[in-house]
Amino acid sequence: MTDLLRRLVRTPQGAIGLLLLLVLAAVCLFGPWLAPQDPEKIDFLGRFRPAGAENWFGADQLGRDVLSRLLVGARSTIPMALAATLLGTVIGSVVGTASAYLGGRWDEAIMRTIDAVMAVPGLLLALLLVSTLGNGATNAMVAIAVAFAPGMARVTRSVALNVRNQDYVKAAIVRGERGSWIVFREMLPNVMAPVVIETTIRVSFAVMLFATLSFLGLGAQPPASEWGLMVADARQYVHQAPWILIAPSIAIAVTAIAFNLLGDGLRDAMNPRNER
Amino acid sequence: MTTPVLSIRNYTLDYLTAGGPVRVLQDIALDIAPGEVLGLVGESGSGKSSLAWAIMRHLPKNAREVSGDIRLGDTDLRALPGRDLTRVRGRRIGMVFQDPSTSLNPTLPVGRQITETLVITRGLSQAEAWTEALALLGHVELRNPEALMKRYPHEISGGEKQRILIATAFGCRPELIVFDEPTTALDVITGARILELFTRLRAETGVAALYISHDLALVSRVADRVAVMKHGKLVEEAPADRIFRAPQHPETQILVDAVPRPERRLVHDQPGERVLLAAQDISVRYARRRLFRPAPPPATQAVGFNVRAGEILGVVGESGSGKSSIARALTGLADFSGSIRFDGRPIAAGRAMDRQYRRAVQIVFQHPDSSLNPRQKVGEILARPLRLFGGNVSDVGRLLEQVRLPASFADRWPHQLSGGQKQRVAIARAFAAKPSLVICDEITAPLDVSVQASIIELLLTLRAETGTAYLFITHDLNLIRQIAHRIAVMRGGELVDLLPIDAIDAEHVHPYTRDLIAASPTPVG
Amino acid sequence: MSLSWILRRLLLIVYTVFVVSVLVFGITQVLPADAAVTLLGENATADALAAIRDRLGLGDPIWMQYLRWVGHAVTGDFGLSMRTGQPVGPEMVAALGRSLLLAFAAIALMLVVAVPLGVVAAVRQGKLADTLTSLVSYLGVAFPEFVTATLFAMLLADTLQWLPATGYVSPFEDPWGAVRHLALPVLTASVILVAHVSRMVRSETLDVLHSDYVRAARLKGLPERTVLTRHALRNALLPVVTIVALDVGYLLGGIIVIEEIFAIPGIGRQLMVAITARDLPSIQAGALIMSATYAVANTLADVAYAFLDKRIRYD
Repeated sequence: MTDLLRRLVRTPQGAIGLLLLLVLAAVCLFGPWLAPQDPEKIDFLGRFRPAGAENWFGADQLGRDVLSRLLVGARSTIPMALAATLLGTVIGSVVGTASAYLGGRWDEAIMRTIDAVMAVPGLLLALLLVSTLGNGATNAMVAIAVAFAPGMARVTRSVALNVRNQDYVKAAIVRGERGSWIVFREMLPNVMAPVVIETTIRVSFAVMLFATLSFLGLGAQPPASEWGLMVADARQYVHQAPWILIAPSIAIAVTAIAFNLLGDGLRDAMNPRNER
Repeated sequence: MTTPVLSIRNYTLDYLTAGGPVRVLQDIALDIAPGEVLGLVGESGSGKSSLAWAIMRHLPKNAREVSGDIRLGDTDLRALPGRDLTRVRGRRIGMVFQDPSTSLNPTLPVGRQITETLVITRGLSQAEAWTEALALLGHVELRNPEALMKRYPHEISGGEKQRILIATAFGCRPELIVFDEPTTALDVITGARILELFTRLRAETGVAALYISHDLALVSRVADRVAVMKHGKLVEEAPADRIFRAPQHPETQILVDAVPRPERRLVHDQPGERVLLAAQDISVRYARRRLFRPAPPPATQAVGFNVRAGEILGVVGESGSGKSSIARALTGLADFSGSIRFDGRPIAAGRAMDRQYRRAVQIVFQHPDSSLNPRQKVGEILARPLRLFGGNVSDVGRLLEQVRLPASFADRWPHQLSGGQKQRVAIARAFAAKPSLVICDEITAPLDVSVQASIIELLLTLRAETGTAYLFITHDLNLIRQIAHRIAVMRGGELVDLLPIDAIDAEHVHPYTRDLIAASPTPVG
Repeated sequence: MSLSWILRRLLLIVYTVFVVSVLVFGITQVLPADAAVTLLGENATADALAAIRDRLGLGDPIWMQYLRWVGHAVTGDFGLSMRTGQPVGPEMVAALGRSLLLAFAAIALMLVVAVPLGVVAAVRQGKLADTLTSLVSYLGVAFPEFVTATLFAMLLADTLQWLPATGYVSPFEDPWGAVRHLALPVLTASVILVAHVSRMVRSETLDVLHSDYVRAARLKGLPERTVLTRHALRNALLPVVTIVALDVGYLLGGIIVIEEIFAIPGIGRQLMVAITARDLPSIQAGALIMSATYAVANTLADVAYAFLDKRIRYD
């Protein structure tokens, strides 16, 4: 594990991605304590105050400190995206591995159905699910997880099929190993690496999707300072105070970039050929 | 003396890597006279390919030429500016590559790929180039050149592709042609025909050639002189017939000794009479019929044979002959119809094979890279069969020593081992089960000849110690003739011959077997 | 490309649309909305509600309701909108037309930008152009559509006043006006596509440039320009067909947000309106039509690829 970390830091993408994510993790954990002001404190005198000594990133339409809202809002954005991706990965990996293991007609039927489900654009599927389950952050998370599952199933299956055809798995079959040994000891450790990489990159999509649902009014609900919601609120005040819009936009982008960079870094670091 | 076509002097080449410069070629000096064929032999990593790229001026970006000259006639190739290179390549030096299936653009008809070359190198018009291409294809014994020119590469066989590439190279009328293992990717018989073609065209045109190969026996037959490379150095250069009879350098000696010679038997005993494994009417079929799609033909058709205790049964055939399907059926990897009896006991097919049989019959796979789980250490890999088949886990060290590896290798990861070492671990894994039959599926094919020879030596020692029988699957007839008691010849899923080794030259053998023997080059001298 | 292959592809579309219809119907059936109440309002009498439930067949088992819905849907009849009372089918198809205009324009713009970007990055691998392209692609995939849309609108419509911020003009009535109104949405939709596709083109081109047959083409004396145009680019750009088709799915999702922000009456905006109003027939029709469009686009891409790439044998 420490070995992996060392190799990760050696790749430029991995180093930058990890650094950004450490900062984001700190913000998620300690946001309320780091925030210079109370994010809900309304200050009518300070409405649309530009960035300066009092409000580092400026103040919004109610005079609330934008930086404080961002720092606190990280909690309602990033963990949700992370949870949605993990849930989607677990569902997808189970289906994908099962499909690869069953093989034959079952595999064909499962994969054709997954292809068909993937014909529904991810955002549309999430929208349909949220409108059924009801608005709210938790429901949005579940919807994103379900929307991600088919894609993860595809990835896992193709990796698992590839691993299944390796001679060391054949050797285990020839030895007469039990199915559980083959799946968990021979296949899974080798399937894990590409799936972890794919998952990491997908967190960035989840962050964006979650913010989009909130932006459309179906995800996190006011007065939460979720970043997508902040952008939605800020749109009508673009003329007076562009910073209330730009700050959360950049926060979303930085998070997405961080996970993308980490994913690319992991891809290099997890390549077993580089393990020397 | 006339000016050599190619002259290399004191040529030294480095590759820059993260760990500093690595020397790949050291003080290379060689000449090729007009009309001469120089064979260049070496194992993988010896630098023979780097030398070819240096001559073609196509070195990788991290290459640094330290010193030396490469001259083509009067032209100093190293001093040639980039834009003049296109006037040398194709026109003055041609090249034929190892794998004809990847050397042609898959999305262009082959005819256009010939004519575009003729137009550029010989300044012909499109119409002239077309006529010339037809003539060239006819000259390399390709039937119906008109139709062939309009086909795409995937629509023709590997042998035809290589003929087309050779025709193109000769058609440009260069002074020198570099051949980089032109028969390695082809089947034995196809390769032999390509070699005949090479000899004929060379004799007709008198073009000088550099023939690169790992196969000393093959090179000694086509080349006038042979140069042997090792670790980036030319260790010996001699007329082809002398290299085998009187190798001077110890490295050459090792290479010569490693070349399999059918007349030099390595196994002198006879197997017992007891039949260990009896296979009857084995046919393997992989894919089933699908919607709108007919089922493919079976991979093997009703094959039957016995293996006796302690016997080495060789199975030879070309790719697609069904020889690996036999291995898959016998190990439960593929379902089959027919019957297997082991020690007189009937054995169920597929996953229902019992533990006792699975212990007694082990397999070693072809690709050392994929046969060891990259996420398990060597120790774990070897401990598993010991635990499963009632061995003692503390025997891992002993197993490693049995295959001539240090016991400390138990702590290594597979990627820290060389190809030969990985194959030894795979052999150790098979012998951990104390098997009475080990199936070797092309296990020496990806290895260098000297490594191959040491693996064979290891297998024979293990057999002497344990009395194990081998089912040895290979395409190398010369190798199998050294060790097998009997040889099974397969073609197109059928068993065409099953002969005792001393009957292989007999009158009554199948014509295909005779073709295979004729196509397997044995060393001259 | 054989007849059986085409038959299989067609069968696959049918299966895809079937699965999607089950999915869409299933999800929307669980919607916490009583169609009868939605139609007649909260104050309707119990008798009136019972009558309309009977007429709509809401009491029937769910599979029967599904079969009835599908049976009508295949004839183009998706029922009446609960919001407007108008037939849903024609409305959605007209909206799809406007969305496709936006989608095609975005794909065209993306191809014009992304393909040269990817090719240049590959040919000049490791140089400045390559670094810049990879920077662009990292940034491009990190901004969700609603952020790009808002930022573009802020810059080009509000601050510089070059383009109208919202609205839709039919290209048949006012071509120039249509172009001006579509500019921002198209620009927004193409950003993520450019980022993704340029990256794919770069890696495809690199693969081909390092292939044996390109090396062989160089070594048989062809000039670099011929090698690049005749041998490398052609093969590198073939897979782009498939990549673009896959991105259509992403684009259709993004179009929901983009149409909402720029007030374009396309299928995405219709869907949003329907979801907000819990207008069941509209949601079902919109979702099914959108997904079927994507499935057809994918099949077309597969057929085009099979037609262009002689390597692949379909049997």
